[in-house]
Amino acid sequence: MSLLARYAEHLFWLARYLERTASLARIIETHVAFDRVRDDDVSWAWLVALHRDEEEFAKHYADPSLKNVIKFYIADIDNPGSVRFAIRAARENARALRAVIPTEMWIQLNEFYNRFLVFSDRDLDPIRIARTCDQIKSGCYAQLGIADSTLYRDEGWRFFRLGLMIERADQTSRLLDVKFAQIATGAGGHGRAVDETFWSLVLRSAVAYQAFHRFEPRGADPNRVARFLLINSSHPRSASSCIIEAQRMLGELRSGFGLRGVSRAQEEAEELLELLQTAAADTDLVRRLHTVNDSLQRRLMNLTGSVGVAFFGYTPVQQQSQSQSQS
Amino acid sequence: MVNDTLQGPADGPSDPYYCELNGDRGKRIPQLERVRERLKNLDISTLVARAREAENELFNLGITFTVYSDKDAIDRILPFDVIPRVLTAGEWQIIESGVVQRVKALNLFLWDIYHDGKILADGVVPKALVLGNSNYRPEMRGLDPPCGTYIHINGTDIVRDREGRFRVLEDNGRAPSGVSYVVENRHLMQRAFPDLLAGLKVRPVSNYGEQLMARLREVAPGGISDPSIVLLSPGVYNSAYFEHIFLAREMGVPLVEGRDLVVEDDRVYMRTLAGLARVDVIYRRINDDFLDPEAFNPTSMLGVAGLMRAAHAGRVTLANAVGTGVADDKAVYAYVPQIIRYYLAEEPIIDNVETHICGTKEGLDYTLANLERLVVKPVGESGGYGIVVGPKASRTEIEACRKQILADPDNFISQPMIDLSVCPTLAGDKVQPRHVDLRPYAVTGKETWVLPGGLTRVALKEGSIIVNSSQGGGTKDTWVLVEDGA
Repeated sequence: MSLLARYAEHLFWLARYLERTASLARIIETHVAFDRVRDDDVSWAWLVALHRDEEEFAKHYADPSLKNVIKFYIADIDNPGSVRFAIRAARENARALRAVIPTEMWIQLNEFYNRFLVFSDRDLDPIRIARTCDQIKSGCYAQLGIADSTLYRDEGWRFFRLGLMIERADQTSRLLDVKFAQIATGAGGHGRAVDETFWSLVLRSAVAYQAFHRFEPRGADPNRVARFLLINSSHPRSASSCIIEAQRMLGELRSGFGLRGVSRAQEEAEELLELLQTAAADTDLVRRLHTVNDSLQRRLMNLTGSVGVAFFGYTPVQQQSQSQSQS
Repeated sequence: MVNDTLQGPADGPSDPYYCELNGDRGKRIPQLERVRERLKNLDISTLVARAREAENELFNLGITFTVYSDKDAIDRILPFDVIPRVLTAGEWQIIESGVVQRVKALNLFLWDIYHDGKILADGVVPKALVLGNSNYRPEMRGLDPPCGTYIHINGTDIVRDREGRFRVLEDNGRAPSGVSYVVENRHLMQRAFPDLLAGLKVRPVSNYGEQLMARLREVAPGGISDPSIVLLSPGVYNSAYFEHIFLAREMGVPLVEGRDLVVEDDRVYMRTLAGLARVDVIYRRINDDFLDPEAFNPTSMLGVAGLMRAAHAGRVTLANAVGTGVADDKAVYAYVPQIIRYYLAEEPIIDNVETHICGTKEGLDYTLANLERLVVKPVGESGGYGIVVGPKASRTEIEACRKQILADPDNFISQPMIDLSVCPTLAGDKVQPRHVDLRPYAVTGKETWVLPGGLTRVALKEGSIIVNSSQGGGTKDTWVLVEDGA
């Protein structure tokens, strides 16, 4: 018998929330640990722009200082973009899946959730925050690793991978977008010099530092970094790697499980790849990067929407709000 | 050392209770000697340390229930006591056959009252008590559940009195919970106390899921050889959600919620990725009232509209059947011995506790005249709520109880206070006697199978006889010895 549709939905979102949590924790960790021009006044406004939270953030905090950003993005349960919120959401999805996922997955996630049920002042101390972020990241990696080595390879697995890939592509695209915006806003964005350190932070935020330098011995520049993160076919976090993998999952759902409902999503994945191929051929990609990223993120949303309409009972009207996070 | 305390309760001549481990005032149970020796050799600090580890493990495993407040969801474990309760093979034989007999009689009773009502016509059970009962569901009249089974999953609450005799305190034929703790407690003991169990022949409990699955397959609608089975839960907010997960996992069936099912043309379907898939048997953990908004409470958001229609059409089997609550009603309980004699022409293997029905004149008079010696229970409540224990109640509480009974006599029964047996239990850093009961679980398809042992609930508060988890109760692992020889 085919898998209960709701299970597929929970698996899809479980993966997305895990990936989102790891990504956010990594970005904060990287910038705290590796930014050599550390200065207490350094602005974190760019991070607030990552998920376009400017308005919501301004309601609660006076300025985007590290301390405030940590509070908002790590510990604030009322912020749907926070680590705390995402871990809880991941665990709620896993809770609904406990009858089907291996106990190993549940136990690790449950312990992880209980570890960060409350963030102590010590956890959030700017001096220690890199370590806290590292633990958060490890918790997510552990869960993804357990899933990879234990989860039964049925339709549910494909939906899990699909969620993971959509979220990862989205995160990579957002990172590129805010970082290039930071350059564009002049003076490297609030007094930030665009130097080696700047690019190393971008690359480390996408776990691409080592690979990039092997692949590009000439070193970092905007064009090379953008291409590496968007279309390098061997970097597992590049947008095109993620979309190719998502496409493979959709193909398996159709051919291996006879789910013809994926056809709209397959078309969208195809269009996404075309978008990236066009970008690859663009000799002036850096100038058009924001447009590409904007389009990429919008299409990823549509992809989630189509999957939701076909399998999770979302109504087309719901699509917009559903596609970024679970209702 | 645990030594002294383990001998304490039963050796003291003043102690009035039967001890599950030490027997009756010095009259040792020879079969338990080996277990007793092993327990004595455990250091108390080891016991405390392992108990703490065990509770941590329960928490991390998520063997918890969730308490919801406005903002927070707090996971709590059901307190677990590491000192096992042990039953001899001989004792178990009595319990097992007694439970089988009782379930058989109750199923025959349910068939009868939803068909011809012979037992009512013969005046063995008062007609009004059954037909006027709020748990009697006229919607069930004429419905023929496969194998004549209404109560597929049953829990019988059994206590042991001062003389060491077993007695049935209550039947649970609606959706008895707790069986997941039986299996998980054993797993926990195997990890925490491998030395205690090593070489002891204890009957296994981990095949409950397989047994349940096999019985549910037996009761699939006629002609279906490979039925599709699901477990229907009210969802993650239900306090027994862990158990629903456990059962679905052990049986390998989907754990569904009302929104996952739909009834079309009197058939039940589940929403899968590939579309609607037929469902034949539903182990439902949603109460009658909320099961089908079309037949019962129309505001229910948890249920599935049309389930009763599908059941009537013989397209789906609901386990347990709707309307079993009339058989485990506390007033009908008083008639179970007669019910057993009526259908089976046998004497009850396990006796009831003497029960006075306040809905009858003699019962009412007797109860009111002896309130300070009796335990008064509201008929419709479960979970230990609303019980007044006469010997332990204050003057004011007794008078309040009297008023309540007089206002609605039909809603109450009374029973003499049973001196529940005790079992050595870890209390802080001491081992002390605490009162226990036992809930064996029986699953019935064509035949009945009883899980060896059952859930031992323990009243952790000193002197308390109320074992319900909502009232400060915990659980113990229950061991049934394979054989009593040497």
